[in-house]
Amino acid sequence: MLGRRELIGVGGVATAVLLAGCTGDANDGATSPQPGGGEPQKGGILRVGALGRASAVTRDPHGTQGNESDYLILALVHDTLTVPGAIHNTVPRLASDWTSSEDLRTWHFTISEGATFHDGTPVTAEDVVWSLRRLRDTPAGAARLPGITRENITADGERTVVLVSDYPNAELPLLTRLTTFVLRKDTPEDQIASAPGTGPFRLDWFRDGNARLLRNDDWYGGEVHLDSIEVTMFETAQAMTNALLAGQIDLASNAGAVAARTAEARQDIRVIRRPDDMAMPVVMRTADGPFADPRVREALKLVVDREAMVEQVLSGYGSVANDVLGTADPNYAADIRQRTRDLERAGELLAESGFDLSRTYQLVTTEDIAGLAEAATLFVNQAREADIRIEVVTQESGAFYESTWLQGDLYMTYWGTNDSVLFYASKTMITGSGQNESGWSDEEFDAAYYRVMDTADEAERATALRDLQEIEHERSGYLLWGMADGIDLATDKVNALPELPGYGRVQLEGVWLSR
Amino acid sequence: MSETAADTASAPLPSGPRLSTLTRPLRPLALLLRRAAILLLLLVAVFLAVDLLPGDAATATGERGESVEERRRLLGLDQPVWQRLWEWLSGLPHGDLGTSARGEPVTDLLATPFPNTLLLSGLALALTVAVALVLGCRAALRRGGPFDRVVSLTSTMAIALPEFVISVGLLLTLSLWTGWLPATTMTGADGSITSWSMLVMPVLALAIPQIGWNTRIVRAALADQAALPHVAAAHLDGLAPTRVLLRHTLPGALPTIATGLATSTGMLLGGAVVVESLFNYPGVGTVLSGAIANRDTPVIVGAAACTGAAVTLVILLADLTRARAVGGRS
Repeated sequence: MLGRRELIGVGGVATAVLLAGCTGDANDGATSPQPGGGEPQKGGILRVGALGRASAVTRDPHGTQGNESDYLILALVHDTLTVPGAIHNTVPRLASDWTSSEDLRTWHFTISEGATFHDGTPVTAEDVVWSLRRLRDTPAGAARLPGITRENITADGERTVVLVSDYPNAELPLLTRLTTFVLRKDTPEDQIASAPGTGPFRLDWFRDGNARLLRNDDWYGGEVHLDSIEVTMFETAQAMTNALLAGQIDLASNAGAVAARTAEARQDIRVIRRPDDMAMPVVMRTADGPFADPRVREALKLVVDREAMVEQVLSGYGSVANDVLGTADPNYAADIRQRTRDLERAGELLAESGFDLSRTYQLVTTEDIAGLAEAATLFVNQAREADIRIEVVTQESGAFYESTWLQGDLYMTYWGTNDSVLFYASKTMITGSGQNESGWSDEEFDAAYYRVMDTADEAERATALRDLQEIEHERSGYLLWGMADGIDLATDKVNALPELPGYGRVQLEGVWLSR
Repeated sequence: MSETAADTASAPLPSGPRLSTLTRPLRPLALLLRRAAILLLLLVAVFLAVDLLPGDAATATGERGESVEERRRLLGLDQPVWQRLWEWLSGLPHGDLGTSARGEPVTDLLATPFPNTLLLSGLALALTVAVALVLGCRAALRRGGPFDRVVSLTSTMAIALPEFVISVGLLLTLSLWTGWLPATTMTGADGSITSWSMLVMPVLALAIPQIGWNTRIVRAALADQAALPHVAAAHLDGLAPTRVLLRHTLPGALPTIATGLATSTGMLLGGAVVVESLFNYPGVGTVLSGAIANRDTPVIVGAAACTGAAVTLVILLADLTRARAVGGRS
């Protein structure tokens, strides 16, 4: 009835791991235009609503944050080495810059000048090493810092941290976004939740998922305008939207398309759209089964009516995609020919490949996020127009991850980090990758991938990255029909809200209130 | 005492002496033991039921790409279910409800939500008792009159309306359209609700269906009593109708009414899951719904233990009321 499952769930999943990036400058954030205009004003309390469940509260910065509310609080109190950016997808935060060795295996990160913990003690390389090793030791550690073992995280003097990768990795700094929260060395386990951070806000209190954060006047990252941020956890986007409409909060973080429709009638509420927030591709198994023939996969990609999907599944809050994942990557190949609906060509391809049209196939989906099951249903209806019979099978999340994910012939998946083409390649597409959802193994694709990973020359890398996307577009197991916008709702007095997809939305340090 | 509260709630009490084999002082103790045993069985059943659901806490709370086996080992899910059940049960006497799949002590997770839910349900129950008694009695005084007919109709409607519909109706009329009441519940640094006005809508949403249900029980129980000879005699003696109602009819109807209210307690706690979620009320319902999605057995069973204990206590009180009333007349 309330679709609880659909509202959360991106958290633990999306924090997975990311790749790609280069040194950028600290001002490379994307923020919304300021409706009030003018100079930022100091002071005020920002009341933020974020999704979360009381049973899933996590206080550990290196834990698996299932609650967006928990992650928001952690991200404002603790800093990561780098953060997502707009022009470059990795920009400095606690690390001011980074350099690599010739072979792209050894990376040096310099700690930002003047970075201190909230109790005034300076951040040292030892603190960072301790924190990264603690992160590496969690069950998700190997997935969050792939290729970097515990012993290969070391300090070089007071202000430099050295990471050595098991293999050349031109995109290693991307791994240091999102989860590399830094605590002081040897923080006892029972004090992790209350340990001082280095972030733009310090924790005043935390209780049952809600918290108040106060401005850190000594933040090294720039001036913080707000006096404080009050975070309220909401179990559903519906309740969160009601709170915004009733004036109980100023910002509803990641409220979704339904809420946006509700709010659009209100003059005093702004809808902030963050493009490329969520991918919900159809996965077709390439290793074996009915979709193993690339012509069949091509046919299905020609069957889908992308505009209709975006319009109906996402209520128009999204954009058409072109079967290449990582659409917000600065190096995304937007010039590859856009695939459009072509039932005739699809029919030819199916006939050529001898695809059995008398069978009814199953498309498995969960209801983990809003729109996923709806996308499956609409796609199935569109496929029927090409005489392909598919039925939608809805599975509960637990059952799905146990029996369908990474194994099924045809299923819906979703990903919440979309600013790196290489992230997807490394995690889900190269031969033997841990989350190879379609069982794909393509020599040419692998070659292109490794060329990107061990080439330092920018131009050469760009060419290889382009090749990689061409191959992915042509024959991978992903049918990516569109990208859902991330949607925040705010009252009209809130300025300079982040417009980055995914967890870029938690970068509230620049926000100010007009009075 | 073999019937459950639900069995007897809508029917008049069977006549005849009960519990005749037990000596009177032992009755409360026997009742207590029986109810405690039922609660224990319930917890075991819930524990095993979660285990039967597809997936487990390791797949539900892990990150994609990490080792499910490692997390399973970390959460102790590689142990047989009987062993996990035994470990959980052996912590119970010390008040230890285990640890959530995300590493938080279950008692911490329930420490504020459970009292919050008790407050919400308690207020809704108090409102239910007051309104159901007043409406039921007034309706019974003039049976078949206009007031009785209106109560009869509206109470049936109230029962038929799910909490969800009532909540949305309240939200629109009392908050979003008029701005009279806050739409959701907010809490402060100490976990307490920041304004009493935030309780109004959740309490109403929970109480309205129960008021409908209990008004009908009160009315029916009073009608049954009214047909008894001693009540008829009181009327023939020329006593005022109100006096007959309060002195003769109502006392006899009390056991049935008490059982009806006890049943409502269970429904109030059940309804709290929906209502808490809609009003973002920080209660045990919101903890429970998330925990079930995460297959977080210790949290689910911990929440069941708390609410189960509360329901058991109320049913026990109803049992005692009935035992006392019936025993007194036998």
